[in-house]
Amino acid sequence: MSRHRTRWIALTIAVVLVAFGVVLAVQHRSEASVPRLVQEHKPVPAFDLTTLDAKTISSHALTGKTYVVNFWNSWCIPCQQEEPALQTFYAAHRSEPDFTMIGIVRDDSSGPIRSYVAANAITWPVALDPSGSAELGFGTTGQPETYVISPTGVAACGGLGPVTDADLEAWLAVARGGGVCG
Amino acid sequence: MKRAWVPWLALAAVLLIAVAVLVARSGPSHTPAARAARLESQLACPVCTGESVADSNASASRAIRDDIVKRIKAGQGDAEIRDAYVATYGEHVLLTPSNGGIGVVAWGLPVVALVIGAAGIVLALRRWSRTPRLAATADDADVVSRERRRPEGESR
Repeated sequence: MSRHRTRWIALTIAVVLVAFGVVLAVQHRSEASVPRLVQEHKPVPAFDLTTLDAKTISSHALTGKTYVVNFWNSWCIPCQQEEPALQTFYAAHRSEPDFTMIGIVRDDSSGPIRSYVAANAITWPVALDPSGSAELGFGTTGQPETYVISPTGVAACGGLGPVTDADLEAWLAVARGGGVCG
Repeated sequence: MKRAWVPWLALAAVLLIAVAVLVARSGPSHTPAARAARLESQLACPVCTGESVADSNASASRAIRDDIVKRIKAGQGDAEIRDAYVATYGEHVLLTPSNGGIGVVAWGLPVVALVIGAAGIVLALRRWSRTPRLAATADDADVVSRERRRPEGESR
């Protein structure tokens, strides 16, 4: 085998390996801390849930409002860590007519959730998702996950993991302005 | 020998029927339960590491299992159902890569490696067959011809 041919084979293998590496790198980048629904600014999936105080809350009824959807549960430590930020944020905006915030429970049951809500004086609507339909529609991959939905029903901003009050304020401003987070 | 071919014909018929039955039975089942089980095993649990939806007891996997049944009842095809989950969770929800996009790399890379490996083996074998490992030198030829000329029984 000539040295020339060996070089070509080595070069081909190197090109294939580099291409594979680039593909893996691009794949990894898409798994960011932003939910896929927000990355692609898709319309919010339809949901129809019952809150702990037996009221119905649906995506259809919320059209025209800017609203926050927070997936959480009682045993998740990051959810507990972000709860003070949610309290501050909700207290600042709860009286605004074009605003609402809902907590959707994923992977938890009614008893622990009711205890947690009572113990922490959570006043925003909290809905159970026993069939997992909302979890599936949003494509959640864990908790907490937070989405800010624009008045037109688009997932404008959001993030995986605990959010801060500053995050929520910034996202709300963007969504209200008809924009989306980059 | 009269009609000696009859047993052979019978044997051939039995073999043919056996092969036909095997082929028919080895195809995938299309019952709703079988389709659901197949789809569950083809999808990765979106919140786990290395577990399929079929194996996982995470709430997301339970929701997907219920959703698959609903979609099958609604008349959706397997590809349509898989595409719906890819749209929600991304390509990595498929445990087996798709035939398009990024999946081409996953399917194609082993083939490329196989072709390169096979080509390398062929080239190596051709090279080895062309150049013998040992070749007689002029000194070797001298020794052989001296030994041939030596009368039998004469010591060295």
